[in-house]
Amino acid sequence: MSRTIAPDAKAMLDTRGLYDGPTIHSMNPLLLMEKIIRERIIDSMYWKEQAWGLNAATLLDRAVDLQYIGGQYANQKPTAFICLVLKMLQLNPEREILLEYLQDEDFKYLRALAAFYIRLAWPAAEVYKTLEPLMADYRKLRLRTQAGFKLTFVDEFIDDLLTKERVCDIALPRMPTRAQLEDMDELEPRESLVSDVEEDSDEEVGEEGEVGED
Amino acid sequence: MSKPKGVYDNAATGDTSFRRTWDRDEYAHKAAERQAQEAKERKERYEAKVAGKKYLPKLDANINVKEFDDSKMVEARRDRIRLDENLNKVQIVPFGSTGGRRGKGAGYYCEACDLNFTNSLEYVEHLNSKQHLQATGQTDIVERATLEMVRERLQWLKQRKRDQNRAEQFDLAKRLAERRNIEEEERIERKERKRVKKEEKRREKLKANTNSVNLDDTQDRDATTMARMMGFEGFGSTKQR
Repeated sequence: MSRTIAPDAKAMLDTRGLYDGPTIHSMNPLLLMEKIIRERIIDSMYWKEQAWGLNAATLLDRAVDLQYIGGQYANQKPTAFICLVLKMLQLNPEREILLEYLQDEDFKYLRALAAFYIRLAWPAAEVYKTLEPLMADYRKLRLRTQAGFKLTFVDEFIDDLLTKERVCDIALPRMPTRAQLEDMDELEPRESLVSDVEEDSDEEVGEEGEVGED
Repeated sequence: MSKPKGVYDNAATGDTSFRRTWDRDEYAHKAAERQAQEAKERKERYEAKVAGKKYLPKLDANINVKEFDDSKMVEARRDRIRLDENLNKVQIVPFGSTGGRRGKGAGYYCEACDLNFTNSLEYVEHLNSKQHLQATGQTDIVERATLEMVRERLQWLKQRKRDQNRAEQFDLAKRLAERRNIEEEERIERKERKRVKKEEKRREKLKANTNSVNLDDTQDRDATTMARMMGFEGFGSTKQR
């Protein structure tokens, strides 16, 4: 892997000759995003001004400033979130860096960004293994759509990523369901995060009852 | 560069003086220099060919070749581009500068490249262009971040967030107290102003009363009787009320 990168996506989207850059799912990473939204992003002011010349470290500055997730808003303008997703597809950060983003506790929008990228770029079994632990994160997220703002949660967003075909106005790469992967012995059956809660739910009810009497 | 001189030296009107003029001597000198350079290169090329070698241009101070590349890699922008910097400001634009991009004119001006742009998108695109980067001593490549760099940055951002939170908490009580003080002062001031105004009004009223009594008695009555005699009563409309 080369030690330098381009400040923008111009070279990676050059259609003259064969593409010989890094690939994801054996294709140009930037093509994982549909042409229309990709071009809207590249024409947007955020991409030209804020997302220009970023690398995996300086991308954090922008990710920390994110206020909402989403694909397009208002008059089909791309959100900063989706611009940064395209930027990450261009940067193609290493696995360790992505895990660093994902495991950070302080910035929830950074986590959402990393989760979205992982869903786009990684093989199915790993996506399930990496993202499922995040279902324990119940923090609120702001989702901006064409119609306005909506409230969602990190775990809800992760669930959308694992089960839906379109999230944030992007068609996600096809992925076998969890059940299929379990049948192929690529995944262990999932341990529910609330399984141990159910077991000792009786005790909790008892405790709550006592509190109520006081 | 050539000095801007009038094209028609005896032109008294001077209405064409904004046109670009050329210093013939300077360009003749430049041409002579270039020709000498080319002649020298031809000669070296010929000598190399006679000797059966490949001609390689020498790194000469006269030849315009960069001896070393000290240009820096591009870094992410630290701040926003201030596109509304000149908003609502009056600027004096040099005459005849509306044509091309070269030179300062109305709009966004790039100091390094001496170029002028009429819209923000063009300007930002220019700031990202190779031309601009070269003029400011940068190359259009970005350093790839390593895991250590990412960790360091993240730590720094976390620290910054923590500091900001602390600063905000500290500020709140202090700012509330400050605000209370200001409001108290404003209230007292308003009260004082009101009192002064009231006093003034009272005094004026008193004065007016004494004046009107004097006027009614003497001059004013004479004037109205005279006017009635002459056939008019006053200025303004004749409308009956």
